[in-house]
Amino acid sequence: MRRAPTYVAAILVGAFSAFPLLWVVITSLKQRGEIFTETPDLWPDDPDFGRYADVLLDSGVGRALLNSLLVAGVSTVLGVAIAALAGYAVARFAFPLRRTFVVSILVTQMFPLVVLIIPLFIVMRQSGLLGTYAGLIAAYLAFTVPLAVWILRGFIETIPVELEEAALVDGASRFTAMWRIVLPLALPGLATCATFSFINAWNEFMFALTFMNEEAKETLPVVLQTFVGRGQTDWAAVMTTSVIYTLPVVALFALLRKHLVTGLTSGALKG
Amino acid sequence: MSSLPAEAVAARGSRVPRRVSGLAGSFSRHGLAIALVAPSAILVGALVAYPLVRTVWLSFTDTGLIDLVQGGGEWVGLENYREVFADDALRRALINTVVFGTVAVVVTMVFGTAVALLLNQRFRGRALLTVLVVLPWAMPAIAASSVWRWMFNDQYGLVNWALVRIGFDQFHEYSWFTDRLPAFAAILVVVVWQSYPFIAFAVLAGLQTLPKDVLDAAKVDGATAWQRLRFITLPLLRPILAVLAVISTIWNFKIFDQVYVLAAGVPERATDTAAVAAYRLAFASSEFGLGSALAVVLFLILLAVTLVYLRMLRGQEAT
Repeated sequence: MRRAPTYVAAILVGAFSAFPLLWVVITSLKQRGEIFTETPDLWPDDPDFGRYADVLLDSGVGRALLNSLLVAGVSTVLGVAIAALAGYAVARFAFPLRRTFVVSILVTQMFPLVVLIIPLFIVMRQSGLLGTYAGLIAAYLAFTVPLAVWILRGFIETIPVELEEAALVDGASRFTAMWRIVLPLALPGLATCATFSFINAWNEFMFALTFMNEEAKETLPVVLQTFVGRGQTDWAAVMTTSVIYTLPVVALFALLRKHLVTGLTSGALKG
Repeated sequence: MSSLPAEAVAARGSRVPRRVSGLAGSFSRHGLAIALVAPSAILVGALVAYPLVRTVWLSFTDTGLIDLVQGGGEWVGLENYREVFADDALRRALINTVVFGTVAVVVTMVFGTAVALLLNQRFRGRALLTVLVVLPWAMPAIAASSVWRWMFNDQYGLVNWALVRIGFDQFHEYSWFTDRLPAFAAILVVVVWQSYPFIAFAVLAGLQTLPKDVLDAAKVDGATAWQRLRFITLPLLRPILAVLAVISTIWNFKIFDQVYVLAAGVPERATDTAAVAAYRLAFASSEFGLGSALAVVLFLILLAVTLVYLRMLRGQEAT
């Protein structure tokens, strides 16, 4: 019985963490009549999976899902590709202003996005990028690139320099040594980094809310927020959309398991 | 060492620039490095440095909607800053940011550390609990805020129902979002729920690197569990806790999503934080100059915190 307090604490913490998620899933499956009850109904009597199809097809959530995938996907690929080069250079070379670059990359991640959004809005408005996928993707590079440089540089530093030196001795050029030796070894790092970038872009709300001024191009968080903001909130749709919006991130977290804390404390995933 | 957050370790490494020998090949000395860094540097310059400078400039003007079409507004000097501190609503937004942010940091740190200590015990189901604790972290902020808004619903919400069930009858149809303090309490729950897992796992990583022999010795000498925690574990964790507290402060001071969704209906926007207030000034009221000034004040507060943070990292490098 000495361990009883441990178990009580474990159950309380587990319930606090997981119950809200369980509750969303349960609620998303309830018939509408079961949702609005004085005493919460802890289990759906007649699970309604049809709402997922309805929400995806009829209320613009499906389109928003595709928009989110497109914006987060492209900004991740571009961001990681651009950052991989810088990450390599920072890990391997001494060059002028190197330290300045590293510190500004770190400091960038501390920025509140609200301090950047007004000028970005003005510039996009003037250049016709407002309301375009390209505009939002470009804005996302403001945080995916610094984050990716930061994580990749750490990964590349763990790859022994000797491997490249051997290639150089064998007559490879610097670029070949990077492309053929370091890059393949850094692939797990690139994958981890891409996952983080994707989650951050997927979760981002403020830029998406401001720059996508056309309903057809809204991303998932924006659509979800408009559901909640309506006078007569359709809570069933809110729950279903929340599940659809959260599931991909949970899947990615499962992939990231090992790296969640070790690589990541640099503010890679906001709490 | 390995328990320190990534940037602490990396910052230490960066002291010694590595160079692959024999790199003076076809490129001039720094040519390749600069070519590789250039795209990132240009992007960061265009998307972060330039907007930052422009926001500072805008904060000294009265730029409104029409000025966006015709070009910049009038230069008004420090007028916007005077207004930020003189206007009740804006001053309140700043106070909200600092007070709510600080409370959120303290609660998150204490709860996160407690959960880390729990996860560091041996008990059945620990692996399962680890998975459950990660879940709130994986939920996007807008989804978490939407879901909790439903849980805090006055009529059908689970929170009120549970509170009434355990005997707090005053929570029958209690409305959480019509007053400042209850609204902040609800937002606090959501923020802590989302951010404690990160703290818990980072502290847990730190706990697992502590020297076992010291703790065992104390146990042999008859120190109670509380004494071991108070006089050995916590002092040894201090560097990690300090870094985490700063990271947590940075996150909680710039909080936007949760407040934007949860505080939407609070009368007089009494729970708006600086980030939300600055955003609304710009995009709901088209007061781009004033919004910029508030954003800059928030930025300066965060910059101060960041400088403390960089100092800490350097301090840890030295030891």
